[in-house]
Amino acid sequence: MAIRLERRLERSRQLEYLVPVLSVLLSLVVCAFLLLANGNNPLVAYGAMMKEAFGTSYGFAEVLVKATPLILCGLGVMLAFKMLFWNIGAEGQLHMGAWGATAVVMTGWEGSGWLMIPAMMIAGMACGALWALIPAYLKVKLNCNEIITTLLLNYVAILWVAHFIYGPWKDPVSFGFPMTKLFPEGAQLMRFGDSRVHLGFVFALIIALILYLLQEKSRWGFEVAVTGGNPKAAEYAGMSTGRNILLVMIISGGLAGLAGMVEISGIQLKLLKDISPHAAPYGYTAIIIAWLARRNPWGVLLVSILMGGLYVGGETVQITMKLPVNIVLIIQALILFFVLGGDILARYRVVFSRPREALGGG
Amino acid sequence: MSRQWRSAAFTVPAVFLVVAALALAGCGGGAPEEAAPEAAASEGVAVKAAFVYVSPVGDAGWTLAHDNARLKIDELDYVETAYTEAVPEGADAERTISQYVRQGYNLIFTTSFGYMDPTITVAATAPEVTFMHCSGFKTAANVGTYFGRMYQPRYLTGMIAGKMTKSKVLGYVAAHPIPEVIRGLNAFALGARSVNPDVKVHVVWTQTWYDPAKEREAAESLLDIGADVIAQHQDTPAPQQAAEKRGNYSIGYNSDMSSFAPAAHLTAPVWNWEVIYRKVVDEVHNGTWTSYQYWGGLDDGVVGLAPYSDLVPQEVRDMVEAKKAEIVAGDWDVFTGPINNAAGEVWVADGESMADGDMLGMKDLVEGVVGTVPE
Amino acid sequence: MNVLTGIYLPEAGRIKIWGEPVQLRSPKDAIERGIGMVHQEFKLVQTHTVTENIVLGLGSGLARVGEEEARDKVAELSERYGLAVDPAAYIWQLSIGEQQRVEILKSLYRGARILLLDEPTAVLTPQEAEDLFTTLRSMREQGHSIVFISHKLDEVMAISDRVTVLRGGKNVGTLMVRDTNPQALSNLMVGREIKFETFPKPEKRGAAVLEVKGVSALNDRGLPGLTGLSFEVAAGEILGFAGVAGNGQEELAQVITGLRGVTAGSLIVDGRDMTHAKAREFILNGVSYVPADRHGVAVVGDMSLTNNSVLRRYREKKFARGPFLDFSVAADYAKRLIEEYNILTPSPETAVRSLSGGNLQKAILAREMTTRHKLLVVMSATRGLDVGATEFVRQTLNEHRHEGAAIVLISEDLEELRSLSDRIAVLFHGEIMGIVDAATAEIESLGLMMAGAKQAEVTG
Repeated sequence: MAIRLERRLERSRQLEYLVPVLSVLLSLVVCAFLLLANGNNPLVAYGAMMKEAFGTSYGFAEVLVKATPLILCGLGVMLAFKMLFWNIGAEGQLHMGAWGATAVVMTGWEGSGWLMIPAMMIAGMACGALWALIPAYLKVKLNCNEIITTLLLNYVAILWVAHFIYGPWKDPVSFGFPMTKLFPEGAQLMRFGDSRVHLGFVFALIIALILYLLQEKSRWGFEVAVTGGNPKAAEYAGMSTGRNILLVMIISGGLAGLAGMVEISGIQLKLLKDISPHAAPYGYTAIIIAWLARRNPWGVLLVSILMGGLYVGGETVQITMKLPVNIVLIIQALILFFVLGGDILARYRVVFSRPREALGGG
Repeated sequence: MSRQWRSAAFTVPAVFLVVAALALAGCGGGAPEEAAPEAAASEGVAVKAAFVYVSPVGDAGWTLAHDNARLKIDELDYVETAYTEAVPEGADAERTISQYVRQGYNLIFTTSFGYMDPTITVAATAPEVTFMHCSGFKTAANVGTYFGRMYQPRYLTGMIAGKMTKSKVLGYVAAHPIPEVIRGLNAFALGARSVNPDVKVHVVWTQTWYDPAKEREAAESLLDIGADVIAQHQDTPAPQQAAEKRGNYSIGYNSDMSSFAPAAHLTAPVWNWEVIYRKVVDEVHNGTWTSYQYWGGLDDGVVGLAPYSDLVPQEVRDMVEAKKAEIVAGDWDVFTGPINNAAGEVWVADGESMADGDMLGMKDLVEGVVGTVPE
Repeated sequence: MNVLTGIYLPEAGRIKIWGEPVQLRSPKDAIERGIGMVHQEFKLVQTHTVTENIVLGLGSGLARVGEEEARDKVAELSERYGLAVDPAAYIWQLSIGEQQRVEILKSLYRGARILLLDEPTAVLTPQEAEDLFTTLRSMREQGHSIVFISHKLDEVMAISDRVTVLRGGKNVGTLMVRDTNPQALSNLMVGREIKFETFPKPEKRGAAVLEVKGVSALNDRGLPGLTGLSFEVAAGEILGFAGVAGNGQEELAQVITGLRGVTAGSLIVDGRDMTHAKAREFILNGVSYVPADRHGVAVVGDMSLTNNSVLRRYREKKFARGPFLDFSVAADYAKRLIEEYNILTPSPETAVRSLSGGNLQKAILAREMTTRHKLLVVMSATRGLDVGATEFVRQTLNEHRHEGAAIVLISEDLEELRSLSDRIAVLFHGEIMGIVDAATAEIESLGLMMAGAKQAEVTG
């Protein structure tokens, strides 16, 4: 007996939306047993997660804070994936963006008020874009596998940032601890009210709209989609694949760079080691977001916010229900497992067969 | 890699939680809990103490040492405790700390350096709550700091290592190149060379707090160059196990690690956080707490040594105990001259002692340490 | 081929080896019966040595045989059959020809007495092919049986004792090579019964639309694929290209649509020098192209018919709204195509992946035909289509010729070429053997040219 996966020829639209929903429900049922075994009421736990993330203004604001860098990175990754350019390097591009923005602050230039933030944004996006251009150029000129180059450049970028915060940019009064000094007020992004939601979230919304128009409506977006759908057809249609790879990666890296900029200018207010939480690095989470969002900009927006909700809600049940962090991690991992597994079953069907007999008997 | 994988797992599933929301619509709504601290039946304030941990409690290391102390004070009838594990350092921690404030906790311990700014930020919004931040340097009217002079027991373990080594090469698996770690490394080297002046201490920086694979490799590389006693500054027992596997000695850290490498573990410099936690809890209970920076040593017992292994000869124990008594009595401290730096220049002149401020910002290595501080 | 190596199982019939009926249930069975196979795509591990690759997968492997012993045996085999290759070299260090020798050695090492070679010369330089033939002859001397699969008639004539011609999966004749000639073989390959249903041709030809002078180009392997091609196609003319598959047809179609660079010569389309122009400029200059590989090249399978209908036209003002693509105009356009060409599809928004072969080809033709084109390049346009669809395609091509388009029609179907074309050019090894008038061309002389004879030799 052999088990094979066979690609479904026709994918129904209902299945595409129904499967993830069923997957989550199923995973919640499985997690319920886990919680029961741990002596918790699963309904209370799920309820507490939802209530904190989406039922309180404080919690929801924190969800948006969490979602902001995810949306920006997710949009960048989405565009690259649309073209089947596997940019695994958003994490590194984000770090380079944060570095570029910090470099502006570190020049000591005070800026004339409003100029500081645009200068930081431009520097952040430029550094992220340049970082993304390296693997793009290697792909176009030497056909280097971008999965490897983008992934490995992440480590370089993280160490590059570490070098500066342990070395030249270290705050002289931090007793040698690795971090820059607090950014001056002019280098801090505006926040809304008492919350930590900052201007970066507005940027993310605007950019989602722009990317929607660019990717789904523009002629260039059509080129990107065709190249992703069938590179040979793109060539046949007279599209310049090499040029488009470079352009896509400039945008993709630029957005991740902007994510790095808004995260340090809006939330961290300094450059330090853990700008991207190592329990859930933004750049890697963005890959899954882009995948689950079906490479759709509004999907990225929605999934990022839900992801932020899970994160904030997960923290809450740790506090309110005193769940050990590992139980929370297992629940989150199980939901992921079911969603991705369901995704595969929506695209492929499982075939049980005994190949030799089946063929021989025909 | 395990960290990355976990992260991926961490985030994704959020996606369809909306579904959960629908299924559980009944559970939603309602105002957040506003459990104000109640006055205890006896005099004094009931203490609701929250602990923010940087890693899972696990079975060894930094967070376990804190959690052991938490369990001790939890036994007091006027104290109730809660904790959150694996809270990211940096601005993300603000959310966890705020949530404890909103849940009505009146004493919050943040137990890692990276929580310094988040603690200060949240504290500014909650003047009625007492905050104690471990290992930092920023304070406020309602924020104090606490730490221990771990370099003192480190010096004592250095003496033991200096006595036990045959190759005169000691290995030190160092974490991040920050003053706390450099101070411990220097103290260890000074202790070793005080009993065995030819000893060299080779250092490898892992730039990690908790990465068993990397820390094991670092220990192995030190064993490869002939080190026969391995000391460490990370939270995993991996270097201990590496030393035991090669039949060498090791010195643990944080808490007693002897169960992981019984044939290698000589002793360990350990934290007894209960000392300071008990002190702070009582102060809050009695309403006598005011902001301060606590840096206790062997005299308070906030730092100490794990029980000696049978491998440590009585004469060595006696020598170490004598030195310990000297420190406890305040007659002498580790960074007392003459001390040369790694370049062989005089660092602390004969008869002088280094000031606390200089110790807290320590960047240089002492003579006898082989290696450099990475930038 | 896959049946003989046990990859596919026969549905009917029997296989006998050395007179004994056998059932080959797996590649392992085939190997045990002494059948060795050299595929077109080599199955070698680049980072292993020659010897390691040869013993890979053998029950014993290197561990039990011992590397020394295995290496000696490989060296001995390579000596005996003249397969020069260093047993200790890594695969990535070897040329394509040497890698093929490793594949042959692999079969011999496993004791193969019957060797199957699938298009073995397709990847070789002429010198390497010569060496291969020497080896094969020496194997024959030593009692091996060899099945040599090729569509290159000259090679078949040079190496074989007997030849079997397959057409459409059927054996259409087995001949002794000494009793036959390339012409007879090519007749067998294309089939004898040619029906003439010639389409009416216009009286007068227009001006030259495509002028090709001395064009050479490389194939995908970097070897010469086209050498010194020269021809012209006029408005209102169909120039047919005949030839056995793999003689430069694909390269030719790509060169005259801008998809493949030229290494020598010049290309003029409608009076404009397009020698080094890109595909996009060819499209803008009115060159339409119906490629042979419908799913692989001509469409994006996961996209809708609407999107695919503007695949090569999305730049036009008609479909633009500022920088945006006007999908409603595109959808109207797709609906028009569906009506005019009678494409059977549930809706213009259906992914083209689900269209049947005939409907897909109609959709591609519809798109390429409704463009305002001066030159139309069509390759294997009716392959795999049913009779009705085939007739429709041919009618359409004819209509467009009458409307003044210049058409390059590349096909393996001589019947189609003769019924549609004004003139027929024959490609062989990337060269034009001759260009003949379709009305008077004799099937025999076409066959000879397809086998490598120059037109001058054929007509005397």
